Amino acid sequence: MTGVALVKPSVAPLDDPIDFQLPEELVAHEPPEARGLARDGVRLMVSRVSNDSFTHTRFSHFPDFLKRGDVLVVNASRTINAAFEAVREARDGSTSEVIFHLSTRLSGRGESWVIELRRRSATGTSPLLDARPDEILRLPGGGTARLVAPYAPGGSVIANSPVRLWIAELWLPESALKYAEHFGSPIRYSYVPNSWPIEYYQTVFADEPGSAEMPSAGRAFTTEMLQHLGRKGVRIAPLVLHTGVSSLETDEEPYPERYHVSYPTALAVNSARRLGGRVIAVGTTVVRALETVLGEDGYVRAGRGWTDLVISQERGIRSVDGMLTGLHGPKASHLSMLEALAGRKHLAHAYRTLLEKKYLWHEFGDLHLILP
Amino acid sequence: MKKQLQQRTALITGASRGLGLALARGLARHGWNLILTARDEQRLRSVCDELATITHVAAVGGDVTAPAHRRTLAILAGGHAGLDAVINNAGALGPSPQPELLEYPLEVLSTVFETNVIAPLGVLQAVRDELKPGARVINVTSDAAANAYPGWGGYGSSKAALEQMSAILAAENPTLKVYWVDPGDMRTDMHQAAFPGEDISDRPLPDVRVPAFINLLDGDLPSGRYVAAALGQVAVEAA
Repeated sequence: MTGVALVKPSVAPLDDPIDFQLPEELVAHEPPEARGLARDGVRLMVSRVSNDSFTHTRFSHFPDFLKRGDVLVVNASRTINAAFEAVREARDGSTSEVIFHLSTRLSGRGESWVIELRRRSATGTSPLLDARPDEILRLPGGGTARLVAPYAPGGSVIANSPVRLWIAELWLPESALKYAEHFGSPIRYSYVPNSWPIEYYQTVFADEPGSAEMPSAGRAFTTEMLQHLGRKGVRIAPLVLHTGVSSLETDEEPYPERYHVSYPTALAVNSARRLGGRVIAVGTTVVRALETVLGEDGYVRAGRGWTDLVISQERGIRSVDGMLTGLHGPKASHLSMLEALAGRKHLAHAYRTLLEKKYLWHEFGDLHLILP
Repeated sequence: MKKQLQQRTALITGASRGLGLALARGLARHGWNLILTARDEQRLRSVCDELATITHVAAVGGDVTAPAHRRTLAILAGGHAGLDAVINNAGALGPSPQPELLEYPLEVLSTVFETNVIAPLGVLQAVRDELKPGARVINVTSDAAANAYPGWGGYGSSKAALEQMSAILAAENPTLKVYWVDPGDMRTDMHQAAFPGEDISDRPLPDVRVPAFINLLDGDLPSGRYVAAALGQVAVEAA
């Protein structure tokens, strides 16, 4: 199997994420469409781990780098309008405006969600850390949220420490997904100054709604390209992993997220590998889901549930051979995942090259294809 | 608190000043998503910043007479998953004061036609695949298109051409609603240029005409020529 050979032991320190200065000019502040580029007009750097080489092109040439028998695994989660303007009612009765983000829907009855509170600041928004249990937030259109408890998966909360994510109980005039459609807007961070309609945050694969943030590696695909890939004999296999809010301000580990890998997708992945095709993940979310359902025998299973998997170079990646991904900020936990696939040396070289060649970062930016 | 958003998108040309700016503000308040363009990037940027607090605004500076700029607008329209309305508002008056036809510099006349006739069609050709069924097309015209005012030969004849083009577009595209609308005299930079040195403070601000355009966009009137002042009247009576 081609994929297993990729995991090489590393001599680099494992607890030292790749760090660099991201110049302001390399941040994509708006969708490529606003720069007059079609979705597939963004730049693509293809990097090959085996000989540490790079090719610079446009995403419209992406199919040239795939061959018959390869399978592209994509995230079919649909982005929801997860940001709302809310009014916070303090204990003394005073009110203030805050930004309310839906992150992840929790299992169980009613609308129970992991949520994030932010406040407006001079440069956009920043996390709001001084909320308390039982606080009430008034949402648009007659919705209400009550903070139940700090959200701390796999750990306890230190008393009086700042809390960014909460478990909240919601009372809404309609289902949360419908409500988001009607009253919310897409989550954005300060580096995207203007709000863009939700269409800009959907990929061509978007099917099941539930992501707080766009699975952005799939953004550049178009229906025409899918037809082209189909004619070439490249299979497209969807899975679903609903993304939660990212943690851009901090070095936090990723939170648990809901996933669903169908039987046909597991079959497509396994048969590609058996027949010598490559499994290419479109996005870090796909790697997270596939590694979650990977068995000891190197084959993936169908499955659904929550994954809290964090992929480091130490752990390695066995389910995929290559990956298409956006460009990640310094110290992002995603970089550890990329390191696990590409090795520290190649990834550091790749990021130096991306910086030198002035590629654009973040969800509206350029793309990086990592091949064996 | 923000009200429920309608997911309708309008493209407005010449949106940094005058009627275009008034329409952008009016539509934003009615929950429309906007794609705005104008040549004056700085003014457009401030319009964008102003309206971004109310709705989704994508503003891109450029000249609608440039094919590359029209392609950019089409790409944005595609990004918005299609257009519910196109308002061809950008226009050129020509020299100020306007010369009589026998003195009219032909190279200037050709730029007036380029902006007032060719560019609106060029915009529609560029975004044709992004027009949703039943989309509204509004071409802004003038009473100078229908009346032989001395000194209005360049601008007036270009608007007459735009009107006939609109009528034929309507006949050729029954799935669209094509309106060519005379907004009437307004207190705008263009109107001031048409009457240099004169006091035009008796003319209404363009905001007054906005309800007429909203009525056309929200209503189901047949394709045709409309006078904004009359439509505004209807709105007041209906209300």
